[in-house]
Amino acid sequence: MDLLLQTLANGILIGGVVATFAIGFQLTFGVLHVIDFAVGAWVILGGYLAYFMSSLLGVDGFLALPVAFVLFGTLGYLIGPIIYRVRNSRTARPELMALALTFGLFTLLRGGMLTFWGFNTRSVDTALSGGSLMIGPVAVPMLRVVAFAFAMAAAAALFFMLYRTRYGLAIRATAENRETAGLMGVDVHRLSATVYGIYAGLTAMAGVLMGAIYSVNPEIGLRYTLFAFFIAVLAGLGSVGGAILAALFLGIIEAVVATYWGSAYSHLAIFATLYLVLLVAPKGILGRGL
Amino acid sequence: MSKKSQGISRRRFIHTGAGALGSFALAAPFIRTARAQAPTIKVGVITSLSGENIFGGNLTRRGYDFWAEMANQKGGVEVGGEMLKVEMFYGDDQSNPATGADAAERLIVQEEVDCLFGPYTSGSTIAVQPICQKYQVPMISGSAESPNVWKAKPEFNFGMIPAVDNSAGRSLGVLGDMSEPKAAKVAVIGVNEPFSKETGEGFQAGAEEAGLELVAYELVPATGDLTPTISKIAALKPDIVAVGGHEEVLINVVKTSKSLGFRPAALIMHYGVTNPAYAEALGADADGTTGISVWLPSVPYKDDLFGTAQEYNEASHNRWGSYPDYTEAACSASGLVLADALKRLGKKPANPADKAALKDAIAETDITTFYGPVKFEKEGDHYHDNIQPVPVLIQIQDGSVVAVGPKDAAAADLVYPLPAWN
Repeated sequence: MDLLLQTLANGILIGGVVATFAIGFQLTFGVLHVIDFAVGAWVILGGYLAYFMSSLLGVDGFLALPVAFVLFGTLGYLIGPIIYRVRNSRTARPELMALALTFGLFTLLRGGMLTFWGFNTRSVDTALSGGSLMIGPVAVPMLRVVAFAFAMAAAAALFFMLYRTRYGLAIRATAENRETAGLMGVDVHRLSATVYGIYAGLTAMAGVLMGAIYSVNPEIGLRYTLFAFFIAVLAGLGSVGGAILAALFLGIIEAVVATYWGSAYSHLAIFATLYLVLLVAPKGILGRGL
Repeated sequence: MSKKSQGISRRRFIHTGAGALGSFALAAPFIRTARAQAPTIKVGVITSLSGENIFGGNLTRRGYDFWAEMANQKGGVEVGGEMLKVEMFYGDDQSNPATGADAAERLIVQEEVDCLFGPYTSGSTIAVQPICQKYQVPMISGSAESPNVWKAKPEFNFGMIPAVDNSAGRSLGVLGDMSEPKAAKVAVIGVNEPFSKETGEGFQAGAEEAGLELVAYELVPATGDLTPTISKIAALKPDIVAVGGHEEVLINVVKTSKSLGFRPAALIMHYGVTNPAYAEALGADADGTTGISVWLPSVPYKDDLFGTAQEYNEASHNRWGSYPDYTEAACSASGLVLADALKRLGKKPANPADKAALKDAIAETDITTFYGPVKFEKEGDHYHDNIQPVPVLIQIQDGSVVAVGPKDAAAADLVYPLPAWN
């Protein structure tokens, strides 16, 4: 029984960790209609920022969270219009061009990190590193609790913005029909830049947590990109709420299979689940976007 | 100003361009001849310069490059009484065995390399072996440790490091013997890829041989979250946790164990622990981790190029900014093996027959280097593997790698059992 409780806790927390970068990915798809393959690079950049702040300045890795949002949010805001322009160009298959662009951006960022920071694996140190909370027989790693709380808070903030503010209304209008939103006075160009900026900032913040929970090196970005993509497909592309549900669902499956059947089968179980869900509900578990 | 006088006319441009191209075409054979007049020994390096094994891939490259640089500083390698410079060519396997095979073929066919230096991973090494066989080009592998590389009896491949079935199990036995109070239960984690899986199997066999009870044997995906695996193992309360994997997984095993408040009496890992980057990434949490090394700067060997093991250690640190581990050392020693074989062959291997003769010369290697003695097995399950180096049990103590076993090789006492996480 103790092991079952620990397994469920592990699963929920794995889901929370993955959800941190999946929600921004969903927002970007919902508004810009771009599958952003650069998501893994933003995660790693956040991790590196935290590593350098803690190792060079001697500050706690968590202090990198607001810096990551501002720094990479600004960078995302500047890059967003380029992605928007490519996605809405009159060339044949602009969706594929945008995909190629974000993949190129990922490759460029990965190569840059490799050139400047080398290939060593780094670890981010925080006040909560290695700490755990005992709830009865269940050990709950503190960093994962923080990641889970971050994912929930980020999702709540996004929901609030999307459904309780005029700006959110403009985002949803743009997500539904860009041309009509433009005709209604929404500055779609600037809005897309802002959304990409929010996404890049949020994802880099998730990267700070990833660097503290796991480790960081330029090559592991692709892993995060793939996980974000799996969750998006399972959730339904563009669905922020679905991303949280899908991440928790996959996290629990991974934990249960790894504990009771063996870790070697955990990815097999994830892919089988993905396949079955797509077979039964091709639009994902929530079947809708923003 | 007339249109013609504004610049070069179209006719003149075509005449000049055609003349230049014609001159280049006529001169090209002579340019090639001019290059051919200064022969070099061409060495192709296949390793992981991108992808998930980039860390180890770059360590192998450093080791190989360091030999080439040092050899060239001394005029090159001796071939038939003449000193030939070493020229290095690189092929990135992108941490993917199939890509490694393609890269090897490119280096052999397009760059016409005389010899290959092998990949970081055993998986890529196994994929490259048939290419070496096909083109009859010898390869010296400074990193591969999987026993499956040698069980295939590769005619053209030679390994510098004893296979992991030879080292992992034996070291677990040494750790079990030295533990006080005596360890009774072992859990093994292996990443699900050739080298790490076979390391896990080596630990499994070592546990059985040492009379330790194996309470868990878990294969994990390299990209998976380790929380469920560590939780499951923690519930079984093993005395020793043995891990087969590369550096990133090793770091994550320690971080995940600590985050779950689980610390076994001993944690033994194979490759990666001896590299300073491991201790740098984990800080004080790396202390107490035990591992296996087939080379340490304290070994009592030397050669003419690098000097003593300690001198090699310092020179490599001065060159790259970090101290080498045994893989880097074995890669540098690969160059010494090639130089020795070329000297005995007495000619540059210009055709397939010469390259086959170079392979035969490498097979007859019997030298001592800063890395230790090198002599390749001629039969059995470790065919063409150098099983001369003796693995020692090391432990990280105060951020440094120290030998702790067997007792006659120990420079410090083994810290056992490890204290609970602070």
